Amino acid sequence: MKRSPATKAGFPALLTTLAVATGAGVMAHADDAGIPPIAPVDGRIGYVMTDLFWAVYQTDDASEECPNGFNSGPREQFEALYPEGTRRTVLDTQLRQEHETWHPGSKAEGFEFHEVEGEKSWGLNLDGEVSNNDFVHPDGTPGIDNEVYRAVGCIIGFRGPDGVEYIFQNKAIADRPYNRTMVEITGVDSLENDDEVTVTLYRGRDRLLTDASGSTVMAGGSQRIDTRWGRRLIRQTTGRIEDSVLTTEPIPEVVIPWMNLNVPSIQIIRDFRLQLELSPTGAEGIVAGYADVESYYKQLIRNDSTHHLSNGQISGISLSKALRRLADAYPHPETGENTAISTALDVRLAQVFIVNDGGTPVEQERISQIIEANQQEPAETR
Amino acid sequence: VLREAAKNLRRLGSLAALGLGLSIVPASAEELTEAYIEEPTPPGIQVLLTELDGPVFATEQGKTIYEWPSHKLRNGYSGETQGNPACYDEVLTETAGLMSPYPPGIILPELDSRPSCTDLWPPLYADDGAEPVGEWSIVERKDGTRQWAYDEQPLYTSAKDRQPGDVIGGSTRRYGGDSPAWRVPIGPAPLVPPGFAVRSTSNGRLLTTEKNESVYVFDEDTAVSSNCHEACASTWQPILAPQLARAKGEWTLLERSPGVRQWVYRGKPLYTYANDTRSWSLQGSDVPGWSNVYTQKAPPWPEGFTVQSTIAGTVLADANGMTLYTYRCGDDSADQLSCEHPDDTQVYRIAMCGGDADTCRKTWKYVEAGDAEAGTSRSWQVIEIDPDSGHFASPEDEDALRVWAYRDRPIYTYAADEQPGDVHGAGTGEWRGQRNGLKAIWLRDDYMGGTL
Repeated sequence: MKRSPATKAGFPALLTTLAVATGAGVMAHADDAGIPPIAPVDGRIGYVMTDLFWAVYQTDDASEECPNGFNSGPREQFEALYPEGTRRTVLDTQLRQEHETWHPGSKAEGFEFHEVEGEKSWGLNLDGEVSNNDFVHPDGTPGIDNEVYRAVGCIIGFRGPDGVEYIFQNKAIADRPYNRTMVEITGVDSLENDDEVTVTLYRGRDRLLTDASGSTVMAGGSQRIDTRWGRRLIRQTTGRIEDSVLTTEPIPEVVIPWMNLNVPSIQIIRDFRLQLELSPTGAEGIVAGYADVESYYKQLIRNDSTHHLSNGQISGISLSKALRRLADAYPHPETGENTAISTALDVRLAQVFIVNDGGTPVEQERISQIIEANQQEPAETR
Repeated sequence: VLREAAKNLRRLGSLAALGLGLSIVPASAEELTEAYIEEPTPPGIQVLLTELDGPVFATEQGKTIYEWPSHKLRNGYSGETQGNPACYDEVLTETAGLMSPYPPGIILPELDSRPSCTDLWPPLYADDGAEPVGEWSIVERKDGTRQWAYDEQPLYTSAKDRQPGDVIGGSTRRYGGDSPAWRVPIGPAPLVPPGFAVRSTSNGRLLTTEKNESVYVFDEDTAVSSNCHEACASTWQPILAPQLARAKGEWTLLERSPGVRQWVYRGKPLYTYANDTRSWSLQGSDVPGWSNVYTQKAPPWPEGFTVQSTIAGTVLADANGMTLYTYRCGDDSADQLSCEHPDDTQVYRIAMCGGDADTCRKTWKYVEAGDAEAGTSRSWQVIEIDPDSGHFASPEDEDALRVWAYRDRPIYTYAADEQPGDVHGAGTGEWRGQRNGLKAIWLRDDYMGGTL
């Protein structure tokens, strides 16, 4: 789980910051001084998501993963297709490109698309297999499934520290209450090791607790559960904690609310699982699974107009074709075309007190009913 | 004849005028409407009450009057600065390049039928002898003609408005920075005390404080008594009136305790809600007994339409629960002409909804009206559309579709919405649906405050 800052253009050092916050939510915790681990109060600890973005393994000069350079975006493609000095009409240029962006066909777009060519990637082995198409984790673990990375790794908008998607999509996680995904772990005997815990996903309704700067999220805030508009987001699974790392059982389908620019968009992750390094004040790790290709793409282009995509040199036309080409799971029952693509997302969370409105047995029963109703049938064959 | 008609309109009163000779159902005379502050106007200028935008100024003939405020776009400004008319009779042929990443100079579509700015927005000319009055002044156009202005903004009428009280040309609804430079109807200030404001929303004209805090009333209160004290008054904070405040019209005062007076509107004391988390909130209305305050409610939507809860709030939906959308479109010319109305070019919509009329009918589905259904208000009407062109159908068109329209524009459902509560079409299209795409009809927007 530990990642080298030299190779990981990761988020700001949230956990470092959180470490100085209060250890709210737990009576005490193990540390290097050898204090024995003590369970969270009532065996329950909550976390709220503060950072989320597609995991992109980067080398300093990108020569390892993108030896042919980065992809061109809408601005470059427009100039190449419709050079200045030629007769250009709105219908035959702008609207043609925008139509193709929103209704991508199968015809090649005429631009070479640079997929990631390196061997390494962050992520998990989702299918339990090791094949030639898989990446190798930087720690040497083979069989890493992350075809989203293969598609977006050579698009500068997805690369840290200054890619437009990298900055703004992640920033929105903390800024927008719509994106307030929470993870509650219950039945916890110890944050270091526990054979079985229950993990529930909710959406919170409140702003994040921050320091006086307003930009650094603090542990110890509280969040009410959104059971009104967020009831479709509630999911539950089990997991285990081993050496302070929570690993969950897959959830057939999780909807991640992810609004960047005032658009109520979502990501749908199938076979969703979490691998989080837990501490009393926060958690950090990855979300992994198979992203629904259609939702993945629409979440991007609904929030980001051609202008925003241009700033990240993201050609929606090229990317949509790449996503479909690289999709590796959930074949459509009629066409056989894969509808989902393996992925991993870097995630950070801050400890939070998750509050049922009133905390009454009636409310708890209502939430239990929602959880039961939202449990999906076992995922179909990948 | 027109002058005589206008006299008759005024004689009948503006509310009645809304229904003159029309096939729609006018707003009920019993419905409460927004009071306004009377102010001096040029001869012939009147105030009409509209369903969605409250009182607006109108010409003697009943045409709503609009301004075109300057609006910052990605690569520059459009609209008009004070005192400087920019809408003329030249038919523009190229884009202005105001919205990146596209350069200027791209040839606009359908030039053979493209209107000029003044074809769609006739200037409100001032007679030779006209004199400024109050906020009304006169600006000189580049051809030497004189045009009325309000607060120095040049004024126009809309070719799309057909009947007195129409506001088809534009809206006072808030619009985002990447929206086109829309035209906005103007009207007199609402009759509210200092410290209050009124804003158009999809639910009606919402009363707020000048800080955009929502204002609430309590069922158990009366004009002369409040039943909210102590702890209640901490959560629901009475809106206090200054010492010099006086009752006027629908506004009165309640003395909560000696020397402490609370504003009362239409017989109910007013409060703000301490737990509101954002401007123009409707959150307080979730508390039993408490309600937001509207100077006038939006007209009811057609019978059979439903309200659906989505992941992001509450939307208006069709009878099957499918989210309803409006289409927003403005071009990138210096004129910023609309492309969202059936009279406008349809090439933008066709490009975005699928590329051809057949595909578009499947992706952005018109909401067809039943044979027995008819318009229910000025805002909600049944129109006939030629589905091949997207324009209004001609009377002899046998394939015309009778579809529901809001503000004279067809509404749609979105093919990728599979179940009630889905809202996948929201923000579809360029600039998050603001310039060539779909916007859901939100009735609650707690996660996107201000989009109602």
